Amino acid sequence: MADFIKQNAGRFFANNKKGENAELLADLNSEYRDRRKDAVKRVIANMTVGKDVSSLFPQVVKNMQTEDLEMKKLVYLYLMNYAKSNPDLVILAVNTFVKDTDHINPLIRALAIRTMGCIRVDKILDHICEPLRKCLEDDNPYVRKTAAIGVAKLWDLDQERALENGFVTILQDLVSDSNPMVVANAVTALAEMQESSASKDVFVVNVAIMNKMLAALNECTEWGQIAILTSLADYRPLDSKEAENVCERVIPRLQHANGSVVLSAIRVIMIFMRYIRNEDFIKSLIKKMSPPLVTLLASAPEVQYVSLRNINLILQKRPDILQNDVRVFFCKYNDPPYVKREKLEIMIKLCNDKNIEQILSELKEYASEVDVEFVRKAVRAIGRCAIMIDEASERCVNVLLDLINTKVNYVVQEAIIVIKDIFRKYPKRYEAIIPTLCQNLDSLDEPEAKGSLIWIIGEYAERIENADELIENFLETFLEENSQVQLQLLTATVKLFLKKPAQSQEIVHRVLQTATNEIDNPDTRDRAYVYWRLLSTDPQAAKAV
Amino acid sequence: MIESLFVLSPTGKVIIEKHWHELIPRRVVDFFNDQVSKAMAEGEDVTREDVLPIIASPKYQLINVYRDGLTYLSPVTKEVDPMMVFEFLHRIPDIMQEYFGQVSETVIKENFVTVYQLLEEMMDDGFPLTTEPNSLKEIVPAPNILNKVVNTLGATTSVSTRKMPHGMSNLPWRKAGVKYNSNEIFFDIVEEIDAIVDSTGKAVSCEAHGTIQTNSRLSGMPDLTLSFVNPRLVDDCSFHQSVRFNKWESDKVLSFVPPDGHFRLMSYRVNLPSQQNLPIQVKPSINIGANGAKFDITVSLRNTEGKPVENVVLTLPLHKSTTTLTAQCNVGQYMFDPVGKILRWDVGKVVPRERAPVLSGSFGFGSASSEAAANAGYNIGVEFLINSHSLSGLKVDVLKLFNESYKPYKGVRTMTKAGRYQVRA
Repeated sequence: MADFIKQNAGRFFANNKKGENAELLADLNSEYRDRRKDAVKRVIANMTVGKDVSSLFPQVVKNMQTEDLEMKKLVYLYLMNYAKSNPDLVILAVNTFVKDTDHINPLIRALAIRTMGCIRVDKILDHICEPLRKCLEDDNPYVRKTAAIGVAKLWDLDQERALENGFVTILQDLVSDSNPMVVANAVTALAEMQESSASKDVFVVNVAIMNKMLAALNECTEWGQIAILTSLADYRPLDSKEAENVCERVIPRLQHANGSVVLSAIRVIMIFMRYIRNEDFIKSLIKKMSPPLVTLLASAPEVQYVSLRNINLILQKRPDILQNDVRVFFCKYNDPPYVKREKLEIMIKLCNDKNIEQILSELKEYASEVDVEFVRKAVRAIGRCAIMIDEASERCVNVLLDLINTKVNYVVQEAIIVIKDIFRKYPKRYEAIIPTLCQNLDSLDEPEAKGSLIWIIGEYAERIENADELIENFLETFLEENSQVQLQLLTATVKLFLKKPAQSQEIVHRVLQTATNEIDNPDTRDRAYVYWRLLSTDPQAAKAV
Repeated sequence: MIESLFVLSPTGKVIIEKHWHELIPRRVVDFFNDQVSKAMAEGEDVTREDVLPIIASPKYQLINVYRDGLTYLSPVTKEVDPMMVFEFLHRIPDIMQEYFGQVSETVIKENFVTVYQLLEEMMDDGFPLTTEPNSLKEIVPAPNILNKVVNTLGATTSVSTRKMPHGMSNLPWRKAGVKYNSNEIFFDIVEEIDAIVDSTGKAVSCEAHGTIQTNSRLSGMPDLTLSFVNPRLVDDCSFHQSVRFNKWESDKVLSFVPPDGHFRLMSYRVNLPSQQNLPIQVKPSINIGANGAKFDITVSLRNTEGKPVENVVLTLPLHKSTTTLTAQCNVGQYMFDPVGKILRWDVGKVVPRERAPVLSGSFGFGSASSEAAANAGYNIGVEFLINSHSLSGLKVDVLKLFNESYKPYKGVRTMTKAGRYQVRA
């Protein structure tokens, strides 16, 4: 039995033969209602897979005058798709629409007004106003809420007509409706219209409107809540007390399962927090905002992604949120790369001397992952933590040394770049590790890494026994090097000369000569000239520089 | 606001297309498919899940969600709240699951009439309207065998006498006049554990995410108060619309008038401390040599109060240069996927005090990237299920009923299972 049904449903998508349209035509005109319905379903199926069934328009439309709700919906579906290409034929259907807005069944009334609004052809405008007005004042809230959205559709097509006919006013009144769903839809429609209005006075949230919206907040669907919260965010509270009140009423929304409701609520609270004077209240708000943000991170990856980006922004404004929750941002090995990147960013922002130990061991784990890009970012993160937190820098350096010992090429290079930055921040502290760094000279092939090591050698030349040999090493390939590396070499050689003049006299001379004569890059050449002048005229001044 | 929706098959073909504003041409789908192919060709390990959820094209932002093989694509031209779009896109397969039991290209094609009607009801003019399954079911009938038979044989469905949505009661989620012969209510507490465990067995991070699914078969308009033994455990929670938030804030009890039938009463999250005793301990030991490695993994139980742990499956992705693998295990079966380089060990049921399951063996690397392979970290994904057990310790205490005179039967079932649970080797 189940097979039989499956077969029959699946055949709506069977391959099209030539003349199928003719067959459909015949069926659409059949005396048997179920044959006709079947045909309409086949027409829609063809539409779904992109086949052209527009020639069947009149026949399909004829089937609209029926008591069968399912059939009606299918015909409406078809109509919406093809109305643009056949507007004259749409007018044929208009009488049925208008009649249907008076139908005894509210579902059908709502369906009619909704579909009329979706047909985006100018001709329909003449016919839509009266039915729309009727539906806006309908007894049944389902019809009213559908009509509210209808006003937004009309606005989209013809703003002036919407204004002339007073629809905007009616809609604004609907914000005070007794049914919360109607309120929510009215707010949604008004907000949409406000965006595209020239005068920006369609929907201005004042105290009265705000209170109505807050009253409806608890009882409408999640999507209605999003619309209301989004509109609330545009309101500017008059004083601290009012801001506090609103925040109190918005706080329960943080416990909603829908991530968008939570984020919208947080947006409102963050904006209103700026107007609150009471420090304790602010602290309690911050405490309440953290748990829902954390819960969002257990959802689907796309939701996590948006949450993480938002958390990043929130942290910039209020760094004290989520202070103790760093663990939730640890990356699972099968998180998609775009999620891992964001989590890493946040981990760095949350790093302080209390959790640095934990974060460092996490970062070390990440450095052994397969994704090269991610590993690089993890290593750089270690560097940033070292620079941010003084007390932790020693531990960071140790971790970096461990990583260098793994001898994995890209890890070593990234680590050296990071160590250079650490040296710049904390000069003269970690000189002991320089020999280890120099041992890894041969594995460096990336310009940034080479440049970093050269800088270190130049800066600490006096501590390095064989600094001149190392520089010589690099100089052998001077001309093939990337210009960034060449610049570093120039600077380092000069520093070397200033610190150990005897050994490096000849090297310096050679480098400057090569740089000025054989290099095309103007930056490099000019730098060499400058150095040459500096050294020849006054070595003491050069040393000062 | 959402302007259009395309539902794509695993191969990128359009199954469903719906526009709420201007018709967006199908060219955008071709562009999207190109971007996906390009992204996946970038690296060997890149999977479909790794593709960015928001892709920029010259005219549109392509917001997409990939779930169970199908892609839900929504191109937008104007500024929109991305979270709302994602939540809505995820709701579509959720509802289809409710209605049809499973979501796939075939299922959608078989039920496209219902799917289109659902999409109509769920969204109007680009704004989401109703996505609560109970409300939708009143407007769009769920297909069941009887309905289908009736439709196929050509009989009519009487629609004009359909009841209005949202019944006659004051509460939008419960209609009046519900009657059952035996009044019962069942609570299913399902906890999922997300954890990262380091190589010493200590939990680096550990949280329990729980949901309380409820099936209410109670007559009239019962007003319930559900209390827990230890409600302060809960770090964060979210409730069904019917739960009175103030009562939770002040007394930490759930006070609500339930909807009829199945619904999610509450979701909660408990942050578990690092010292948490995890019920299942996976001890991996991987010794890396020059061209390969020897490994063994032991599974043992701790702290399950004597209950067995079922459906235990360990998944260990190996480095892409891994060539051969041999292993033996004393319990369950293992399988090595030579293309994806994933080792999967299906342990099955582990009973306390019986011998611990062990999997041991060796694998070799190809010579090419043995250095990277030697240094790679290994992560084992763990799945398991424990019946009648809650890791967080949250327990239902008493259920009180007001407003009705019968005594309801209350059933509570608890279950803990693994969420995103990984152990580092």
